[in-house]
Amino acid sequence: MKRKVLSALLCAVMTISMLAGCGSGGEEQDSESDKAYVQDKGTLVVGITNFEPMDYQDDNGDWIGFDADMAKAFGESLGVDVEFVEIDWDNKILELDSQTIDCVWNGMTLTDEVTSSMECTGAYLNNAQVVVVPTDVADQYQDEESLADLNFAVEAGSAGEEQVSERGFNYTAVTAQADALMEVAAGTSDAAVIDSLMAAAMIGEGTSYSDLTYTVSLNSEEYGVGFRKGSDLAEELNNFFAQSYEDGTMQACAEQYKVQAALIEQ
Amino acid sequence: MNSLMEQFPIVFNALNVGFLQTLKLFFVTLLGAIPLGLVISFGSMSRFRPLSYITKIIVWIIRGTPLMIQLLIIFYFPGIVLKNNIWGGSESGRFLAASVAFIFNYACYFSEIYRGGIQGVPKGQEEAGLVLGMTRSQIFFRVTLLQMIKRIVPPMANEIITLVKDTSLARIIALQEIIWAGQAFLKGSQGIAGEIWPLFFTAVYYLIFSGILTVLLGRLEKKLDYFR
Amino acid sequence: MAILEVEHLSKNFERTEVLRDISFSLEKGKVLSIIGSSGSGKTTLLRCLNFLERPDGGVIRVNGETLFDANDPVTTQEAEIRRKRLHFGLVFQSFNLFPQYTALGNVMLAKELLEKERPDYKAKKKEIHAQIEREAKVLLNQMGLSDRMNNYPHQLSGGQCQRVAIARALALKPDILCFDEPTSALDPELTGEVLKVIQGLADQETTMIIVTHEMSFARDVSSQVIFMDDGCILEHGTPQQVFENPREERTRQFLSRFTNG
Repeated sequence: MKRKVLSALLCAVMTISMLAGCGSGGEEQDSESDKAYVQDKGTLVVGITNFEPMDYQDDNGDWIGFDADMAKAFGESLGVDVEFVEIDWDNKILELDSQTIDCVWNGMTLTDEVTSSMECTGAYLNNAQVVVVPTDVADQYQDEESLADLNFAVEAGSAGEEQVSERGFNYTAVTAQADALMEVAAGTSDAAVIDSLMAAAMIGEGTSYSDLTYTVSLNSEEYGVGFRKGSDLAEELNNFFAQSYEDGTMQACAEQYKVQAALIEQ
Repeated sequence: MNSLMEQFPIVFNALNVGFLQTLKLFFVTLLGAIPLGLVISFGSMSRFRPLSYITKIIVWIIRGTPLMIQLLIIFYFPGIVLKNNIWGGSESGRFLAASVAFIFNYACYFSEIYRGGIQGVPKGQEEAGLVLGMTRSQIFFRVTLLQMIKRIVPPMANEIITLVKDTSLARIIALQEIIWAGQAFLKGSQGIAGEIWPLFFTAVYYLIFSGILTVLLGRLEKKLDYFR
Repeated sequence: MAILEVEHLSKNFERTEVLRDISFSLEKGKVLSIIGSSGSGKTTLLRCLNFLERPDGGVIRVNGETLFDANDPVTTQEAEIRRKRLHFGLVFQSFNLFPQYTALGNVMLAKELLEKERPDYKAKKKEIHAQIEREAKVLLNQMGLSDRMNNYPHQLSGGQCQRVAIARALALKPDILCFDEPTSALDPELTGEVLKVIQGLADQETTMIIVTHEMSFARDVSSQVIFMDDGCILEHGTPQQVFENPREERTRQFLSRFTNG
């Protein structure tokens, strides 16, 4: 008898907890603005990947970079803390929609896919696919025609690969942009095609690839910040960018991370 | 940063941090799933029919769907469908969600093993205890429990070794366990990019850890070998 | 006076009547054998006496004390049953030894757990333990197992296991020791050693109820024999009466299988 009562109780508890799991939440935040939602919880959760010079960790493990620093400043203007969370780049839209992050701020190229599924800010940084060659031969490769006979190294599936294959150049696909740089440094490829912002940060004087430089731009693309579809924070951030550009703090920040040349006027 | 000698300490450090997360998930899962599995196995063996049906359906769902999907649903479903993200987005929220998914999943597998263990002890053992005037709890603790444990150790050892490797699935919700840490050097992290060897090297961690577990569980099995 | 009185005992499983109106009594120090084909209710009767099954009707009395009365709810309460079981010992067909204990451990376990309930247990723990161990060793010696005390059940032969099981049941000094086909699970060459032990117990005037298929043994050891068929006692008397002059045709049929086969 006692056992039956216990079983019935257990059964009831399980059912109730299942129902409770489904019932709570629901209609709360639909009417509320995203800005109010973020300010209410007091934290702006920024989804990033490890991407120098936009978002990367300093020696203490703190997140720095042009995007990271701007995000911190934006958080301050909203009066909320900023939390950086590394996400799986493939899941960025899922993360936004499930509110596990509040924005994607990580040198994100504004493609059709991105702008149709997120509320995006205006472009704030120019990027391009640039050709990287050893410094001592850079003079010979200042225009597109001169590139025809080179063997390229590009990241598989990258915008860079798209550009070289479109032009019919010979190329080897490697696993990462940094790999492509290594190919050039080692002489196994003549040139590489990578993001201009990455090139600015990773090659030239004072870097581990001091013998390399970049010359021709094959295309241009723009970076933006993505919020949840319909979020009022995108407009808020546009205003914040404009203000920071006006008072020069955005330019100063860009200089700190050597991306000032790519900055777009706000 | 080209030479392996230069890269190794950086990679080693990062992999250690990732592996710590792997270990944490592993032990939290065991700690939660071992007792929860017992509750579920009692539920599925209950003589109260509705309870045993409900638990059997839950076990069927959990065992019949990939753990990866369960991770995605548990972490993203509340925010997307219920508009109420209960996990937060931080590393600790991801860990909590992963723990819940793993504990539930493994508890269901464990419950079936327990059920086999409990039902595998002959009825005569309990009856022998009863006619000798022992109470039900004395019979459970002094007679049947050890026989149950002996029966479940080999299949539990299998599941536990599987769990070591399954923890890597948590990277789908961006839990930064060791595979994630190893993969970071492929994409570029701490000045090292395009390196595949750190990812391959994570296998060494899994091998060593599952090796240790195999030895320990084998010892336990041997310890229970004195009776049949 | 009869040590055991059973009156009008009945038991049903679902719709099937397994025991119908069973009544008999047993004198102290005597041996009762129960024979009959399988399914006749012999084992169920033993299990009812040991409260492994709850009878649906009837009365069980030991030493004049009513242990069970289907019409008196107080006697059927779960909590009371454990104590009442101790009047009976039961030796199973399949031994049911505890595999994780040695022969000695099997014999000692129940007694030790029981003695823990004594108020002076904590103070005299050592003496009590030594006493239990001494008694267990005496019993195992009596069973001819002095050199097997520290062996685990899987290291013993079937006959040795059954003798350990008998010692285990005797350790609690039951008023009545029941055997449920104690040799049926044994190889034929091992039955002798177990029957010899039971014969020895009979010689010491241990009160016993033996369900068995060993007809010649039942005839030699018992003071009375019951033949059961379809849940009823069909024949009840001395071995001479039942084996040589059965009153019922059914008994004759049953016995002829053993004498001619």
